[in-house]
Amino acid sequence: MTVIWTQGGIVENDPWISHGAEDAPKLLPLAEALEHAQDNAPFGVALQPADDVRALAPILDRVAIIALTFPAFSDGRAFSQGMLLRERLGYQGEMRAIGTVLLDQVPLMLRTGFDSFEVDHAPTIKRLVEKRLPGIDLHYQPAADQTDAGASYNWRRTAILNG
Amino acid sequence: MYRYDEFDHAFVAARVSQFTDQVERRMSGEISEDAFKPLRLMNGVYLQLHAYMLRVAVPYGTLDSRQMRKLAHIARTYDRGYGHFTTRQNIQYNWPKLSDIPAILKELAEVEMHAIQTSGNCIRNVTADHFAGAAADEVADPRPYAEILRQWSSVHPEFSFLPRKFKIAVIASEHDRAAIQTHDIGLQLKKDDQGRFGFAVWIGGGQGRTPLLAKKIKDFLPEADMLSYVTAIVRVYNLHGRRDNKYKARIKILVHETGVEELTREIDAEWAHIKDGELKLPQADIAAINAYFAPPELGDRAEGWGELAAWKKSDPGFAEWVGRNVAPHRHPDYAMVTISLKPIGGIPGDASADQMDAVARLAEEFGHDEIRVTHEQNLVLPHVALADLEPLYRALLADGLATANVGLITDIIACPGLDYCALANARSIPVAQEISNRFGDSARQADIGDLKIKISGCINACGHHHVGHIGILGVEKKGEELYQISLGGSADENSSIGQITGRGFGPDQITDAIETIVDTYLAHRSSADEPFIACYRRIGADPFKAALYSSEAEAA
Repeated sequence: MTVIWTQGGIVENDPWISHGAEDAPKLLPLAEALEHAQDNAPFGVALQPADDVRALAPILDRVAIIALTFPAFSDGRAFSQGMLLRERLGYQGEMRAIGTVLLDQVPLMLRTGFDSFEVDHAPTIKRLVEKRLPGIDLHYQPAADQTDAGASYNWRRTAILNG
Repeated sequence: MYRYDEFDHAFVAARVSQFTDQVERRMSGEISEDAFKPLRLMNGVYLQLHAYMLRVAVPYGTLDSRQMRKLAHIARTYDRGYGHFTTRQNIQYNWPKLSDIPAILKELAEVEMHAIQTSGNCIRNVTADHFAGAAADEVADPRPYAEILRQWSSVHPEFSFLPRKFKIAVIASEHDRAAIQTHDIGLQLKKDDQGRFGFAVWIGGGQGRTPLLAKKIKDFLPEADMLSYVTAIVRVYNLHGRRDNKYKARIKILVHETGVEELTREIDAEWAHIKDGELKLPQADIAAINAYFAPPELGDRAEGWGELAAWKKSDPGFAEWVGRNVAPHRHPDYAMVTISLKPIGGIPGDASADQMDAVARLAEEFGHDEIRVTHEQNLVLPHVALADLEPLYRALLADGLATANVGLITDIIACPGLDYCALANARSIPVAQEISNRFGDSARQADIGDLKIKISGCINACGHHHVGHIGILGVEKKGEELYQISLGGSADENSSIGQITGRGFGPDQITDAIETIVDTYLAHRSSADEPFIACYRRIGADPFKAALYSSEAEAA
């Protein structure tokens, strides 16, 4: 079973889920998204790890959702893509992790700006639903999440997220 | 040295709980072995040939006696009574039970230690000059910067799943004792003519099957920009480093394939966006970390000068040890003492629990409670008064720790090899032992002089064979162990990659071959003052090849 999870819990009837209804809008690959930027219908983009996220800059305000792909749990390119989208391009819309999304990577994804997750790994779904994330709530570096600088060192951040 | 504050304590405790939970989920099958592997590696846990191996981080190689005693205790309680100090200034235990590892990590946390990021495709434990804070030639102590990097890189959310491992080393003198040109990033702390600190930055060094020396991409990066610039480098690498072939995944290959100028442009372009952001290091923060590394109070001990001369005169063994293992300190009444973990015929880098306890005791008694681990697999007491050298030597002698061979032919670097390692193709340790025995005579070693032999049991080059003056690489050919020799490597400020001499030698021939090389050097050196590496650079490989393979040529 594939679910969409956010920090608010499981999202029912998410329109952008893979293998959704026939008439549901689809996440477009980068090239197609750039072509359809003038369309009225809301559209989402699914980027591959080799895509340059900065290409989305001109159309960011028209994108309903950006999904970044983890082709394998060991492929961490989307962490940097996420940072660039949030920090460089100032993207504030929904940013979804798709592909191989496993429990132990979710806290890192939250820190790098992801706020929704397409998950099909049952033990991961169970822990996410129970809100038992395996992250460490103390951070030695700033990232894209909302954390405040620590008392001692400027570069060191303490957390408010469970991430 | 650095002391954990509440934040660090809480972080390490949280990391232990996190890993304990991960181990439990692995046991219950919630995590597959594949998915668990990077998680355990990032906590220093390897699966080796016969058992799990735990690699404990010794950040920039600095320890105090309390920590060393804990390492001894762990060796005694959870392992077989010894540990192995590594070429990355860490210690590894070869026989812990997986189920004991959470308990070991808890014990380590009690003394402000951990095993975080000693393995895995992440930013590894940061290394530094083992003489930092004591050497006469440094512009400042490089360790505060290594500590800042350690903190910043710990469980970095963006950089925990890089294409491959990522190693950073920091030095602060022109003479490189930390092999920075063989690291993914090498940083050399410098001071400009206005007294400001900054770094020369190298990227793209690495060994393995494609050895490449790092390229310098910045002459002087202001210290305030250290974290932002390193972030730019690692981000460009994370996005563009190859992931299709693990042997081509290190940043050295990206540098090589992209070209250093082009890649530097990309890094600088990325850096321009972040250099004035949150990662800018405030002077107050640098000063606060520096304060932890304030040198110990070293009172004048001028009486040592006369005593030392007298002791040397009366005890040739002591004189020999001082000659090899003792180096000048910034303070003229003090010295830096290297404790060799290379006893003749021993296993390079191994120390027993009793020896670790002895070193802890001696560090307290004579060394201002500071101990260092060197990348050459020895230990250092960086602050010893000349007046204390003789009693220190006597005590080391009693514990089998007074081998006077630092920098000599028996001061060998060797990886664990096929005796332990799941990756190895050949044994390293017995080769090191046999060479050590062959050349163990102290007069003979002294006559040969400075000569670094480095041995790896496979192409991954953990034993640094590419940068040995004499490098030995164990390979497997038709089911037999075979040892290739390379000559002319070096891992200092004049780094070079060694050149393979020709066909390899069997386990029963390799020591003879090394002896042939040494004899060739002795026959060709211009004088006893010309060390092996200088002689090799002057005369080239041909005389050595001729000597190694001449009988073959005659037979043919």
